[in-house]
Amino acid sequence: METLLNFARGPLFRLCFALMVLGLIRILFLDVWAALKAFRKTDDKRMPWKLIFSRTWEWIFPFKRLKNNFQLYSVISILFHIGLIIVPIFLFAHIQLWKESVGISWISLSYSWAFWLTTGTIIFAVSMFIGRLVIKQTKLLSRKQDYLWLLLLLIPFVTGFVCANLTVSPATYHFFMLVHMLSGELIFVLIPFSKIAHCVLAPLSQVISVLAWKFPPMTDDDICTTLNKKGAKV
Amino acid sequence: MNRVRNTKLILWLISGFAAAIALNRFIFGLGVTTNLNDRTPWGLWIGFDVMGGVALAAGGFVITAIFYIMKREEFHPLVKPAVLTAFLGYVAVVFSLLIDLGLPWNIWHMIIYWNPHSPLFEVGWCVMLYTTVLFLEFSPVPLENFSRYARIRNFLMKYRFVFVLLGIMLSTLHQSSLGSLFLIMPFKLYPLWYTSILPIEFFISAIALGLMMITFESLLSHWIYRRKPETDIIAKLCRAVVWVLLTYFLVKMIDIIVEDKFAMIFNGSWQSFLFITELLISTIIPAILFAVPKFSRNSKVQWTGSIMVIVGVVLNRIDIGGLAMLGATGDSYTPMWTEIFISLGIISVAALVFLFAIEHFNVWDIQPKEPDALPHTLPSFDYSSKTWLGNPDVSSLTTHSLAFVVSFAVGMFLIPGSRLHSKGIENVKVNPASGFDTLFINGNRDDRFVKFPHQAHIAWLKDHNVSLSISYGNNELSINSIDSCQACHHLSLPLEKQSNCWQCHSSMYTKTNFFNHDWHAAKSGANLRCKDCHTPAETRSLRSAKKCTTCHPSYKFAAEVKNGKEKFYALSYTDAMHDLCVSCHAAESKKLKDKPNLARCTTCHKTYPEGSNGLPESLAAGLKWKINPPKFNNVILPEEKLVK
Amino acid sequence: MSKGILTDVTKCIGCLQCVSACKEVHHLEADEPRIWQKNDGLSAENWTSIITKPGNRFIRKQCRHCLEPACASVCPVGALHKTKIGAVVYDSSKCLGCRYCMMACPFGIPRYDWDKIVPHVEKCILCYDKIKDGEQPACTQACPQKATIFGERSELLKIAHQRIKENPGKYINKVWGEHEAGGTSVLYLSDIDLGFLSYPTNIGNKPLPDKTKTAMESVPFAFVGMGGVMLGLNWIIRRRMEFAKDENKKKDSADE
Repeated sequence: METLLNFARGPLFRLCFALMVLGLIRILFLDVWAALKAFRKTDDKRMPWKLIFSRTWEWIFPFKRLKNNFQLYSVISILFHIGLIIVPIFLFAHIQLWKESVGISWISLSYSWAFWLTTGTIIFAVSMFIGRLVIKQTKLLSRKQDYLWLLLLLIPFVTGFVCANLTVSPATYHFFMLVHMLSGELIFVLIPFSKIAHCVLAPLSQVISVLAWKFPPMTDDDICTTLNKKGAKV
Repeated sequence: MNRVRNTKLILWLISGFAAAIALNRFIFGLGVTTNLNDRTPWGLWIGFDVMGGVALAAGGFVITAIFYIMKREEFHPLVKPAVLTAFLGYVAVVFSLLIDLGLPWNIWHMIIYWNPHSPLFEVGWCVMLYTTVLFLEFSPVPLENFSRYARIRNFLMKYRFVFVLLGIMLSTLHQSSLGSLFLIMPFKLYPLWYTSILPIEFFISAIALGLMMITFESLLSHWIYRRKPETDIIAKLCRAVVWVLLTYFLVKMIDIIVEDKFAMIFNGSWQSFLFITELLISTIIPAILFAVPKFSRNSKVQWTGSIMVIVGVVLNRIDIGGLAMLGATGDSYTPMWTEIFISLGIISVAALVFLFAIEHFNVWDIQPKEPDALPHTLPSFDYSSKTWLGNPDVSSLTTHSLAFVVSFAVGMFLIPGSRLHSKGIENVKVNPASGFDTLFINGNRDDRFVKFPHQAHIAWLKDHNVSLSISYGNNELSINSIDSCQACHHLSLPLEKQSNCWQCHSSMYTKTNFFNHDWHAAKSGANLRCKDCHTPAETRSLRSAKKCTTCHPSYKFAAEVKNGKEKFYALSYTDAMHDLCVSCHAAESKKLKDKPNLARCTTCHKTYPEGSNGLPESLAAGLKWKINPPKFNNVILPEEKLVK
Repeated sequence: MSKGILTDVTKCIGCLQCVSACKEVHHLEADEPRIWQKNDGLSAENWTSIITKPGNRFIRKQCRHCLEPACASVCPVGALHKTKIGAVVYDSSKCLGCRYCMMACPFGIPRYDWDKIVPHVEKCILCYDKIKDGEQPACTQACPQKATIFGERSELLKIAHQRIKENPGKYINKVWGEHEAGGTSVLYLSDIDLGFLSYPTNIGNKPLPDKTKTAMESVPFAFVGMGGVMLGLNWIIRRRMEFAKDENKKKDSADE
């Protein structure tokens, strides 16, 4: 068990963390590159930057959204994100691991903050899951991925909570710890290749949707792809 | 038709892997990421990357000399790729230097602090200048694509002859000066390689290598893009190289005969075999191959011959740069795999840039295209907004960057973490002391035994009625003669024979973590007793746990006594023993006027003549204990006394 | 004005006082054996060490402070240099970490901070700060047996030869460091052979920097010479091509 834990803490963590960081950089780079290429091809070179910025702003800090129909759902989503981001980065135990291996450290959450944020995140995630199932409109918009992601994100939070707060036997503790680490690492690996990539791509999405409007449907590319005749000359 | 893509894929994979290693090299330092050591401070990176790299980039000055100076117009198609290779080669050399140097951010110091006596100073300057010159020589090619910079381009074209001339002059200097680097080490370099004309040999072999590098690079890139190689022009190069190799061979042989080292070639040492191999590969076989006119026009022979010269001359650089020194230094340096991959990675990056330049600039007369960059591939896709963005030019970049990321991650995975975090400290297991009454302590077997007369120490404590007072926490413990054992022993109580010093202090020089969490958890009631040691409101960690001495008051921690802090590890054997013995000896030597040397190293550490079974012959003295066993039966164990 | 150290191997009792004094003065840390160290005791944290040889012979190893040091001559930025007072000192602010000094030293002295992210070269500097002010180096000060003594190099040489003369048969008739590699500031008297202090191949009695001198002096000539040769060659070839052109023209006109 110890060796497994050490393996998950050492080489496996390095592998997954590197995959996440570089994967995100890669995706950001590819997106910017593709956007630039698309921009070069457009006839209409005007870009509504103000609109893009205000929309992105709204997107990242969605306070305006609170006025619309799904108020509760939006609030929960914001709160969920706060816990989701802050807890893994500023948890004392995580920082301790960094300090031991590379020698860097930063400010940490106090125990009670960590406790309440974790509890909150778990509750919000569960309620979001229920929300996706219950509210008709969201249910229609949801894909399988969305449900799975909520569940996957729940695993490290629940196991971490168990490890930090409940009294369990050493064997159970180690088991939960292992699940905690492995699920966290699985999330790391999946981030750059799934919808969670929006954590870095968020600022770009508005730019890209504006760009996409500049290409009316039925352009040559679309024809080719729909016809499944790659390489055909139009 | 995926040769280009696959080649690039492999190159991206290697460079990703190397990037991970390079990152670790800069985080953890040279010592743990390489096998470099105090006797072999220059390893593969200098021998292959720098010395070999500079030599491999010799094609640039050779071809420009042929084309611009000797006006052999037929070599025109080879000029631009060769200059590009040379430029990239030098940039690669600079990058590998940056990785190899201990303080790479100080590399510019060569510009302001001068030491003209140093060959390395001259090499450094020449490399700096020549890289600039090569940049100026090559930059007209990419500038062709940008009509905006036509004036700069015209200017560069106008003075191209000057750059070429400067380039040749600078190359002559530093190709030969790389040899001068080793003139100061006659004591290290094996005599077969060491000669005062090393610079000349280096220069001539660099010319040969330059010619063959042009050949090889041309053959290889044409193979990758499935073009027909320029066999006829290359054949001319191959014929020219025969003369250069012949000169090299003659110069080398005459020098060896004049310096009376000829017999050394056949003296049977591994160096002589290495020398013969090197000479065969680099000079003799290729010269014979290319001397036959029919062979020199055959592209297969061109392949073999050029690879042989390249491998041979680079081997020569590696030999002189370190391999032929191992005999004198007595070291057994073999490059760690990390070093090898960094070297490969630098080559890969250079090759990728070369392929990029070939595809995007007018390096060849007919510009090749990457085969899959066709107009109608799958449109690129944005992950966040789920929009298709029309034709990408980056489709291969998508796979290649993924390859880079994945192999980087694999590199991080494979890097040996234990070595990185060891700070280079060897984990030397402690050897238990041997003997009976008189112990012979030889923890790391360096044969400077410490003779420890146990009985004498007990007797001394008794005689002097020593009352040592030791304080830890709030407890003050006075010890007098009867239980004076505690003056030295803590966990290892006299009757508790199963635990000796070396069982906790198990490593000679590093600390050992002796706290067994699982055992404590199981022993204290497993699931529900965490609160016994950990403060409930805090994150459970070593920091928030209770001190060991709260439960085990009799454990005397040297570290705790000293710094008021509790450590959860056993000191290294050396530290533990020195703390124990030296502190007392030093205090006593001050008191006792007749024993001033009591605290000196040699008082205890002595070299004894060794007996048959690795023990000193004077072991007989230790047999006393066997005859006259000490009686400890009436000793009150200190723990019982204290817990009350 | 050139100071030096004379170490008498027969007098040394191997007490390591010099080693600990050196550590104290230069604030060197405790030494743990590292994978990159080689067994002569010298390390980044040990600028001097005692080598034990059979028969209770203790030899103190330290930088020899050559009169014409190879390390200083090869350093591309002059981070190492020989001071007037005799010490070869190191300026870490100039160093760029090429480790050429370690390669060039015939006695294998300089050590490297392999474990550090900002590594420097580490070696004995003859306590330059102390001897500058007229004091002794820490090691000679600490020696209880006066086995290693500090003074003017010329006087130390005199003392050494006097000791050899006064005690016939006690010493090998050689002062190590008098001539080797052009002479060193640190001298040894011994009754056993001290060849192991340098590399096995005889390093000779000439200063090592001389070996690169010829090559380095010919650098400007090679530079200008190569330029000249190339220009000349170019001129000749162009002339020939012009001639060939003219002749072709003549031929053409003759044909017409």
